[in-house]
Amino acid sequence: MKLSFKGGIHPLKELHEGKGKTSALPIKDLVPERVCIPVDMHIGAPSEPCVKKGDQVKLGQVIATPVGGFGIPVHASVSGEVTAVVTRQMLGKKPSTCIEIASDGQDEWVALGPLGDVEKAPADKIVQQVKDAGICGLGGACFPAHIKLMIPEGKSVDTVILNGAECETFLTADHRLMLEEPQRILKGLRAIMRAMQVAAGVVAIEDNKPDAIKAMKEAAQGMEGVRVAILKTKYPQGGEKQLIDAVTKRQVPSGGLPIDAHVVVFNVGTAAAIADAVTEGKPLISRITTVTGAVNSPSNLRIRVGTSFQDAIDAAGGFSEEPGKIFAGGSMTGLAIPNTAISLTKANNGVVVLNQKEAVKKEPSPCIRCGRCVEACPSLLNPQYLNVLNDRADLAGMKKHNVMDCTVCGSCSYVCPAKIELCANFKEAKEKITARRV
Amino acid sequence: MKLRLSTGPHLVNRESTQTLMLDVLIALVPTTAAGIYLFGTKAAWVLAVAVISAVVCEYLFQKLARRPVRVMDLSAVVTGLILGLNLPAEAPLWLPAIGSAIAIILVKELFGGIGHNFMNPALLARGILLASWPARMSVYHLPARVLGVTEVVPAGADVISAATPLIRPGGYQMYDLLMGNIPGTIGEVCKIAILIGFLYMLFVGTIRWHIPVIFVGTVALMTWVMGGDPLRSVLSGGLLFGAVFMATDYVTNPMLKVGQVIFAIGCGVLVSVIRMTKAFPEGVTYAILLMNILTPLIDRWTSRRVYGMVKKHA
Repeated sequence: MKLSFKGGIHPLKELHEGKGKTSALPIKDLVPERVCIPVDMHIGAPSEPCVKKGDQVKLGQVIATPVGGFGIPVHASVSGEVTAVVTRQMLGKKPSTCIEIASDGQDEWVALGPLGDVEKAPADKIVQQVKDAGICGLGGACFPAHIKLMIPEGKSVDTVILNGAECETFLTADHRLMLEEPQRILKGLRAIMRAMQVAAGVVAIEDNKPDAIKAMKEAAQGMEGVRVAILKTKYPQGGEKQLIDAVTKRQVPSGGLPIDAHVVVFNVGTAAAIADAVTEGKPLISRITTVTGAVNSPSNLRIRVGTSFQDAIDAAGGFSEEPGKIFAGGSMTGLAIPNTAISLTKANNGVVVLNQKEAVKKEPSPCIRCGRCVEACPSLLNPQYLNVLNDRADLAGMKKHNVMDCTVCGSCSYVCPAKIELCANFKEAKEKITARRV
Repeated sequence: MKLRLSTGPHLVNRESTQTLMLDVLIALVPTTAAGIYLFGTKAAWVLAVAVISAVVCEYLFQKLARRPVRVMDLSAVVTGLILGLNLPAEAPLWLPAIGSAIAIILVKELFGGIGHNFMNPALLARGILLASWPARMSVYHLPARVLGVTEVVPAGADVISAATPLIRPGGYQMYDLLMGNIPGTIGEVCKIAILIGFLYMLFVGTIRWHIPVIFVGTVALMTWVMGGDPLRSVLSGGLLFGAVFMATDYVTNPMLKVGQVIFAIGCGVLVSVIRMTKAFPEGVTYAILLMNILTPLIDRWTSRRVYGMVKKHA
C-alpha cells in the first residue's frame, strides 16, 4: 500500500517532476581548485575559525570549532593552504565568516578516529562522534544531527524515519545515493537506532523511484528492525510533518516537534554521513548535489562543501542558455541566489538554472476563489482567506487562522491560476508575527 | 549576468484564470452548438449579442473606471455566453444586450470586478430580466429542428408556442427531454450536450463533481420523496444547466468542500420547494442566487481541522 497525506500537489507532472534529465546519471566527483567554507552552515551559533591565512590544512582537519549548545565543528573539504578568512555574503540573510582554501590536489586525510562497525560501536559514543564529524541535516534544514540523537527528558521515540521521499522537483541526489550506496544509508540508520535505542527504522521513498526502492529493500533484508515504506508521489511528501503523518498516521502537534509524535526524521544523506563518521571516522566534507536546468550536461555531483555555484555549474557543462534565475534546491522551496560566487554548503541538494523566459515574473490577477489553494494546502489551512487577511495587513487575524502552521511549501502558489504569491506573503507574515510578537 | 531573486515556488502551474475560462468555454461548445442547431440562427444572434455586449461593457467600464483591462481573461465571454444560453431563442436582441450590461456592470464591476461579485452575474442578470420582462422571458417555442429520431416530430413547427415541460410534466418523451426536442432556453434543453460539457470539465479538472451531483441528487431525492418522477424532474427545465455551469461558478460558492456540500444541498432543496409550490415554473435561478447570498455565511460557519490540531500522543 502506498502511504500518503491530505492535500498536496503533483508539481511539473508532465516533466517527470523535472527529474528526468538526471535520474539515470551516476554520481560524479567534483574536486574544485578552491573552496570557500562558511562557518555558519548549521542552525545554531556560527563556529569559531581556528586557522589563519597561510596555514596548511589536511582533508577533514577542523578549521572552525563549535560554539554553544547547537554548535558543530567545520572541517577542511580539501587539503591545501588557507588563503583567506573573510566575511562574505552567502546564502544566509547576513554575511558569513568564510574560510577559503586553495587545494593542493593531494586530498590527504587528517588522522581519523573511527568507532568501527555500527553494530559493535559503543552506543554512548556515537552521539559525540556525530557531533565531531560536523553533521547537520542534509535535507536542507541543517539542524545539528547530534542534538536530534539526544532524547530530551520526558520525551520518547519509537520510530526513526529516514527521508528518501525527495519530493522536491529537479532533485535526484537522494535518489542516486539510495540506488548507488544503500549500505551506507542503512549503516547510518542502524547507528542512529542504536544511539537512540529505538527498535524501528523506516526508510520512506516515493514510488517514482522504483529502482531505489528495490535497492534499499534488497540491502535492508535481514537487518534488525529496518523496513522500507513506499510513499505516493506527491508534494510535499518529504515535508517532515507530512512524512510522519504518512508513515505513522500521527500528526506533529501544532507548535511541537516530531519528537512529540515519538518520531525523529533524518534525511538519507545525513544517515550516510553518520555511517562514514562512525565506521571510518570521516567528517562531513562532501555531499551529493543535482545540477540541472539550463546547463549543458545536467549531473549528480559529489561536491566538496564550499564549492562555488560557478564551479558546480561548470562541472555540469556550463550554462546552455542565458540564465535568468538560479536557485539552491528544487523549484518549490529553493533559494534564489544573487550571483554564482556563493558557496554550496552542507544543505545544498541541488542547483537549478532557469533560462530568461522561465524566470519571468508572472503578473498576479485578482483571486477568483477557485479553491485550488485550499485543496493543495498540506497543513489544511485556508490560504485564500489568509490572503484576504494579508491584504488587510491583519497579522493577528492571520495568526488566529493558523498561519504559523504554514510550512511554506509553496503548494498554494504553485496551483494558483491568478498567480498570486500566496506562499511568499505567508512567509513574510510569519516573520513579522515572530518579530513583532503579534 | 542579471539573476532574478524571489521566494519560491520558482515554477508554477500553467493553469491560469484565462485557461480555466477557456475550458469552461470549450465545455459550453456542445451546448452552444446544440442550441443553435435546434433553434436556428435566431439563437446564434442572441448568443452573439450577449457575448459581444458583455465584452464591450467590461472593456468600456474598465477603461472609464481606469482599472486594468482584463477582458483577455475571457470571464466576460463566459458570462455573456451563459446569459445568452439562459434566454429563449425568440428573445428580441435588445434583451441579451441589456442583460449582459446588467451582468457585467451592475453585478460584476460595481462590486469590484472579477472575484468580487457576490452573486453569479449571468444568473442575477437573468433574474432581473425575468422580473422586468416576464412575458418576453418566458415564452418558449419548440425547437425548429429535432436532434435524432423522435416519434413526436412537430413537422415544420418552428413558431408553435408550447408550455415548458415543467408546466406539463409527462408531456414529452424521455428521449426528447435528453436530446432537447422540447421548449426551453437555448442552452438548457439539450441535456446530452450539458453532460458532455460536465464530463469535459471533470476530466480536465476545471470543477469537482460535488456541487452538480449533490445538487441534482438532492432534487431527485426530494422529488421521489414527494411522489414525483425523479428522472423527469432532473431532465426538466434548467436544473442540469444551472447545476453544471452556474452553481459551480468559483466566485459565488463556498471555499471548503463541506461548505460546497451544504451549498449544493441548499440549492437542491430550494429548487424542489419552489417547484413544489409552483411559485415560478423555474426555480433554479432563484435557488442558486439565494445560495450565492448565503455563501459568505457558509464560509464563516465551516472550517476544517488544521494539521497538528491533535491531542498529545500518549
